[in-house]
Amino acid sequence: MKGNEITLGFIGNPNCGKTTLFNAYTGANLKVANWPGVTVEKVEGAIQAHGYHIHLVDLPGTYSLTSYTMEETVARQFILSGDVDVIINVADASSLERSLYLTLQLLELGKPVVLALNMMDIVMKRGMELDLHRLPEMLGIPVIPVSARQRRGLDVLLHAAVHHVGHTKPDRIVHDHKWTSKHQHDHHAEYAMVYSDAIEDKIDQIIPALQAKYPGLTNYRWYALKLLERDREITENYPVDLPDVLDRSYESDIINQKYDFIGEVIGEVLLHKEKQDMLTERADRVLTSNVWGIPVFLAIMAVIFFLTFTVGDWIKGGFEEAIDWISGGAAAGLAALHAGDMMTSLVVDGIIGGVGTIVTFLPNILILFLCLALLEDSGYMARVAYVMEGIMSRLGLSGKAFIPMLLGFGCTVPAIMASRALENVRDRYKVMLVTPFMSCNARLTIYILFSEMFFGDEAMIAAYSMYLIGIVVAIAVSWIIHELDRKKSVNYLMIELPEYKLPDARTVSIYVWEKVKDYLDKAGTTIFVATLLIWGLLNFGSAGYSPDMSESFGADIGKFLTPVFAPIGLGFWQIAVALIAGISAKEVVVSSCAVLFGVVNASSPEGMAAFAASLEAIGFGPFNAFCLMLFCLLYIPCAAALATIRKESGSWAWMGFTACFQLAVAWAVTFCVYQIGRLFFL
Amino acid sequence: MFLKDGQIGRAYVVEVLHLPFELERRLEALGMTHGATVSVLNRKGKGILIIKLRGSRFALGYNITRNIEVKEAGDERE
Repeated sequence: MKGNEITLGFIGNPNCGKTTLFNAYTGANLKVANWPGVTVEKVEGAIQAHGYHIHLVDLPGTYSLTSYTMEETVARQFILSGDVDVIINVADASSLERSLYLTLQLLELGKPVVLALNMMDIVMKRGMELDLHRLPEMLGIPVIPVSARQRRGLDVLLHAAVHHVGHTKPDRIVHDHKWTSKHQHDHHAEYAMVYSDAIEDKIDQIIPALQAKYPGLTNYRWYALKLLERDREITENYPVDLPDVLDRSYESDIINQKYDFIGEVIGEVLLHKEKQDMLTERADRVLTSNVWGIPVFLAIMAVIFFLTFTVGDWIKGGFEEAIDWISGGAAAGLAALHAGDMMTSLVVDGIIGGVGTIVTFLPNILILFLCLALLEDSGYMARVAYVMEGIMSRLGLSGKAFIPMLLGFGCTVPAIMASRALENVRDRYKVMLVTPFMSCNARLTIYILFSEMFFGDEAMIAAYSMYLIGIVVAIAVSWIIHELDRKKSVNYLMIELPEYKLPDARTVSIYVWEKVKDYLDKAGTTIFVATLLIWGLLNFGSAGYSPDMSESFGADIGKFLTPVFAPIGLGFWQIAVALIAGISAKEVVVSSCAVLFGVVNASSPEGMAAFAASLEAIGFGPFNAFCLMLFCLLYIPCAAALATIRKESGSWAWMGFTACFQLAVAWAVTFCVYQIGRLFFL
Repeated sequence: MFLKDGQIGRAYVVEVLHLPFELERRLEALGMTHGATVSVLNRKGKGILIIKLRGSRFALGYNITRNIEVKEAGDERE
């Protein structure tokens, strides 16, 4: 605490609503979803309240304060750093028994703790009741019921936190256990959690040894417990010479005794515990069914893409009209200003033709992300790990690895970041390698344009096939790696399955708005710059500015690369240029094509007709379009995804390998499809 | 018996975990301790399970369930 500044650390189990609470206080738009492992690093915000400048820190969800996983390490380091004035322990009140284990560990740190009982609305809805008088008596800390989703109890929680700055001793503890209790509190009654006499005796012997050797420490009881648990960090940094006392690890005993005590707490404070959520039980009978699990998953994905196409296209019509109007207005305005051909070409063909075409796909992107947000917030995402476990385990991966892959349908960048939730490092690298094969929203623009141009009524099937091919290639590549991998790792699926809930409008709208903003940002930055560059490359040649693109620098580059693309059915210099430009962002393939073929508003029916005619004139037919879609599905995702792979792997070499590998896979798969297909279709 | 053989709708009491050290500790932190009751909600394959443990649902892979020794809840003879 510095002056009137205090820091509150939000800590709790995965999926307990910490981030929703954090967002409610700070107005931040951090991603929230109904599956464990969404928050993978600490995030900070600040507010003014009760005369204090309050820093709020949202920590990754963790079940304990050991340091076995990345989330645990991040949370523990921050909590122990001394930077936090009050710990806000967010607990899912509807699953209190599991939540209290972390609470007991936090109590032992000797720092001020306030327990925020979140999701009280669910507790009440189910008919369960919590004795909020007895719970603080047993734990010795303030217990505040809140509902982050409904924004209830937030001020009271903050008030309690501000009042507990500096409270390192427990509040009044009332031990009133039955004679059957294993925690009689006949000594050390000042602590909420007291262990068996055998453990307490050991603690009593370790504390004087610690005091003698490390006089500057505070809270010796916690260090003694950690030594008994053989905690790696504490044992290395604060060793004591008590071989008879520290004769083995007592971690299991300590955990067991904590759960014994939790059992007693639950027995006293939770009423009508038997009232279960029947909705989850019933939904799981279908969604995780052995027979229907995978078909239902595929059907859900099919419905998402059906909605993306139909509803998205319906709204897109309005955007196309707007682009037509802007384009016409810009051309007329420039003509009135007597602007030259070059300026008119730059604005109408370059900027409006390229960036404008990308903006018209916004409704499709919006529907896709809306569906993914509903899927994530409903609680289904974690079930996918169970549904896919059988297949994934044959590939040497845990079913949990399918979650980042599924998120890849939205955007490759957060999908690669979500691979952090995997415990096994080798799994993470494998997932980082195959996740880009899952078709992201940027690739959707290519599918919509080319499938609608060339496949008529079958456009949706052609586009959906890309998603399925993406899954199949990702699975096949994982299987080959698994077969070649000599150090076969054993995978352990362990994931909490949250209860199903109706998606929260605020959570979903935050998620969708962030994605829409990202898309528009990208259209205004990366795609804008890439489109200008492409326009420049295609309108300037060795003789300077020339409207004849076949004499441009871009054409020279494209013609040089044509022999590489010819065996995969893409031996057209214009397509080669678009594909190279598409490395910056996949949408740029579409915007480049619009510039290359001089089509303004390429996604409108008139634009598509003109575009298709131009393509057919150079011998580019439906089968070439399929090969283009396939190559775009599989080759290097985009510059942002590559940067994320580098950041997450910490290796330029791995990023380079990933890029080359994806290029090679894309070329090889498209080559096979084209060479076999041409026997039938050409 | 091992948890992998658990049947849907039956409850079991955890006896011993035979898993790598860190994984064992993580499971214990979730409440999978000696004497804890585990209910099997769903199963597939050789023993991929959805279980209920201390009020929460978890999906566990075969590599975990085949290494958790349990006995049927209420069976005092074992």
